Amino acid sequence: MRRRRWFVHPHRNARGRPSPAPVAITPAQASRFLAQSTMGATQATIADVVTAGYSGWIDAQIAMPRAIKHWDWLVANGYSDAANMNGTNGFDQTVWRQAIVEPDQLRQRVGLALLDMLVIGIDGITTNWRQFAAAAYMDVLLDNAFGNYRTLLDAITTNAAMASFLTFLGNRKANPTTGAQPDENYARELMQLFTLGLVQLNIDGSVKMSAGAPMETYTPNDVTQLARVFTGLSLATNVATTPDRYRVPLVMNAAINETGSATFLGKTVSGGGMAAIKAALDAIFAHPNLPPFVSKQMIQHLVTSNPSPAYVGRVANAFADNGAGVRGDMKAVIRAILLDTEARSDAALTNTSAGKLREPVTRLTGWARAFGVNSPSNAWAIGDTSSTANRLGQSIGRSQTVFNYFRPGYSPPNTAVSTAGLVAPEFQITNELSVVAYINYMSSLIANGAGDTKADYTTILTKATDSAALVDEINLVLAAGQLTGATVTAIRAAVDSISSATAAGQLNRVYTAILTTLASTDYLTLK
Amino acid sequence: MSHDESRRAFLKRSSALGLAGVATPFVTSLGAIGEAAAATASDYKALVCIFLYGGNDYANTLPPYDAASYAQYLAARSNIAHTRESLAATVLTPSVALPGGRQYAMAPTMGPLAQLFAAGKTAVMLNVGTLVQPTTKAQFTSNAVKLPPKLFSHNDQQSYFQASNPEGATSGWGGRIGDLFQSGNGSSTLTCINASGNAVYLTGKTAVQYAIGTGGPVPLLNNATSLYGSATAASTLRSLMTGNSSNLLANEHAKVSKRALDTYAQVNGALAGAPAANFPLFPTGNSLADQLKIVARMISVSQELGAKRQVFFVSLGGFDMHDRLVADHPTRIGMVANAIKAFYDTTVAMGVADKVTSFTASDFGRTLQSNDDGSDHGWGGMHFVTGGAVNGQRFYGTPPAIGNNTPDDVGQGRLLPTMSVDQYAATLAGWFGVTPGNMSTVLPNIGNYNPSTWNLGFL
Repeated sequence: MRRRRWFVHPHRNARGRPSPAPVAITPAQASRFLAQSTMGATQATIADVVTAGYSGWIDAQIAMPRAIKHWDWLVANGYSDAANMNGTNGFDQTVWRQAIVEPDQLRQRVGLALLDMLVIGIDGITTNWRQFAAAAYMDVLLDNAFGNYRTLLDAITTNAAMASFLTFLGNRKANPTTGAQPDENYARELMQLFTLGLVQLNIDGSVKMSAGAPMETYTPNDVTQLARVFTGLSLATNVATTPDRYRVPLVMNAAINETGSATFLGKTVSGGGMAAIKAALDAIFAHPNLPPFVSKQMIQHLVTSNPSPAYVGRVANAFADNGAGVRGDMKAVIRAILLDTEARSDAALTNTSAGKLREPVTRLTGWARAFGVNSPSNAWAIGDTSSTANRLGQSIGRSQTVFNYFRPGYSPPNTAVSTAGLVAPEFQITNELSVVAYINYMSSLIANGAGDTKADYTTILTKATDSAALVDEINLVLAAGQLTGATVTAIRAAVDSISSATAAGQLNRVYTAILTTLASTDYLTLK
Repeated sequence: MSHDESRRAFLKRSSALGLAGVATPFVTSLGAIGEAAAATASDYKALVCIFLYGGNDYANTLPPYDAASYAQYLAARSNIAHTRESLAATVLTPSVALPGGRQYAMAPTMGPLAQLFAAGKTAVMLNVGTLVQPTTKAQFTSNAVKLPPKLFSHNDQQSYFQASNPEGATSGWGGRIGDLFQSGNGSSTLTCINASGNAVYLTGKTAVQYAIGTGGPVPLLNNATSLYGSATAASTLRSLMTGNSSNLLANEHAKVSKRALDTYAQVNGALAGAPAANFPLFPTGNSLADQLKIVARMISVSQELGAKRQVFFVSLGGFDMHDRLVADHPTRIGMVANAIKAFYDTTVAMGVADKVTSFTASDFGRTLQSNDDGSDHGWGGMHFVTGGAVNGQRFYGTPPAIGNNTPDDVGQGRLLPTMSVDQYAATLAGWFGVTPGNMSTVLPNIGNYNPSTWNLGFL
């Protein structure tokens, strides 16, 4: 068995000895890395990556504790007041704030990728204190972002928000009198969306075929059987006047729990209780589909929509064994994704099918982080950005269904993308409305902010009179240096069409450089 | 437009789409030109798909009402059933009685649609669903025939209903109908119009769907000619949004932006003559009604836009009721009934009721058996077709047996469809003007059914 601890970078060896210097990283390369691994690059983080190296930066990020949990911020800012019991007030505030200002940016970005796969949406939670239930779920994802996927499965399965969203809160065993059967929702979506997928996979993510047809992973009967296991999970207390019961793990209500056997995926568990749930999750966790299924989606969310099978295979192997015999170690998975040559090589910059469409919420946070957006009053008034007619068509934690805003297998039909056999998941929320709404919304945010949630352009304004310097900096920080020469020229001309003689003119030059960058297809597609 | 002009227009469009020289779609589409030319007659038709996302619960949408059937329904879902008393006002009285004394009611909140049924404008489909070919219970049980892949999976069955292929499908049957007719329209972009985002249903092999908001198209920067005080900045913004790129994804994004910007003035200008205030029948607070209102507004300006045949898509989500079925389903399905009624009444007021047909669709039906406070993913379901051309006040199909593991269900009351989506679609497409010879272009599996069964007779 391999025991090589390849994931410990020599930069941080235990005795603190100097290590061989890695190849120098350019600021553009650092910015591209940060576009994949954070909610947005800044001049400061670009400098950090150049200094520490990719691996060293990841080490430092993994070691960084969370500054504050979503839940605790809500309490600290008064959202546990009884007036908020029946709304969602506070949720958008804490998710935007944390994504934009917290320094544990790798955790924030991985957390968003996990939320894109292990989906909940606050509108689909039917409890009271929904902002707290959703915040507790976000905390589960962020707390476990560098943990083990098996632990994460335990945590989401006993989370109140997930249980409400996928309707297994108080799920009852079969009732012979009424004929009622256990609710199959979680059993189905846990396997289909969170762990295994519908078809059997090779380690490189390719589909296993039999007689020309994909081999299915499980049958409807496996779902019906597994549903028997996920019965009985219930809130820990009946106290509804505080949100506290949405933070603690669910408990087993033996009276409604199926204790008979359940056979699925060729395994049989019996006896019911939390032990049966653990055994069921163990069986799913051991399934050979899990490493490629999770790995490929994490690559798609962070780096590229169409990773090569070899890339998927390298990451899936790290998922299956982190080098120390541990399966599901997210630290190893994240390192494998971000340090892979397919993520780091500059070859992608000229590959016509490389990269991904930037997820709309990361376009907003990218701007916000680059220009120091803050909210002195803590109002964080960005709000729900899911409108396709006047916002982003996406908002963190507000998907209407467990299928998220976009699916990993989505290929925009009847396009050169689909003709080439490629997928482009983010195109599922891209249409004639959304592309215009995004520009309109950002044009207002850039200039006006939202309430007291505003950018601080003090630093960039020092370059406002020099269009070359201005556009170069914005190209570097926002666009990872990926604007073409022609785009840079066009943006400079637009900037230079505005007089820099007045303070207002200088601001308009900055706004113009930012918005035209955000509108350019060079920026929108992260290579 | 003459045949030749139509053909030139098509060739130009094909070239713009980069299809010239790509053998298969080109040849297929050449075949379509005859159809399109035939469709350049002066009439107008619109087909409106109303998709209920999440899988609508068929049993509480169309509950059995005769005493014997109601008792079986109640037995299967005692804790989530409508009371028989509550159904009395929405019992359906068809012009041709069902065999065996079978009766159905609509959900109590569906009164407006029950009215349209009684008026002969709505037809009810009993047990439509995704199939590859006619399938019996015995064939299902013994795995003797091909089945739609990934049954009971939301995203895949949504896609199969819309496109005859699971997730990843590259065109849908609404779009493929659009392929046949877009060259007869003044602007091909305005053939397949989606008021609810993106759906594979509306994309053809050449036809591209156009997304419109419930208030119409959205203007870039509120139509300002300058950006942050600069006209140059405003024009640079547009060119950077729409410029070609060697990167496939970037280039595709630019195409969407270009369509949005190029079409805005034409559509907005036309809609200015049909302000929302002129469409007062639609209820407020009903997102499906909001979408159908913009569809009605677009239909009202179809002549100005030169459109002869249009395919629309609207949707309402929230039907995946594994729980809270009793609490939430009546409201949701009531929204559907109210929206369809308002839309139909509006087409009457516009004088185009017999030119517009709406039909419901969904991922799948659900289980008849309860899971205590909801139902789980199923297969076949009940659907509604409404319009002036509809042979309404009729049931189509066979009333399924009611229970668990009957000859008509595959367990827990998951209906084995007796009418396929292909037949449902072929009937709609035939009314729209698709000829039998082109039906398999639109519906690749229709050849698996006897041609005498392609038209279900409701249009």
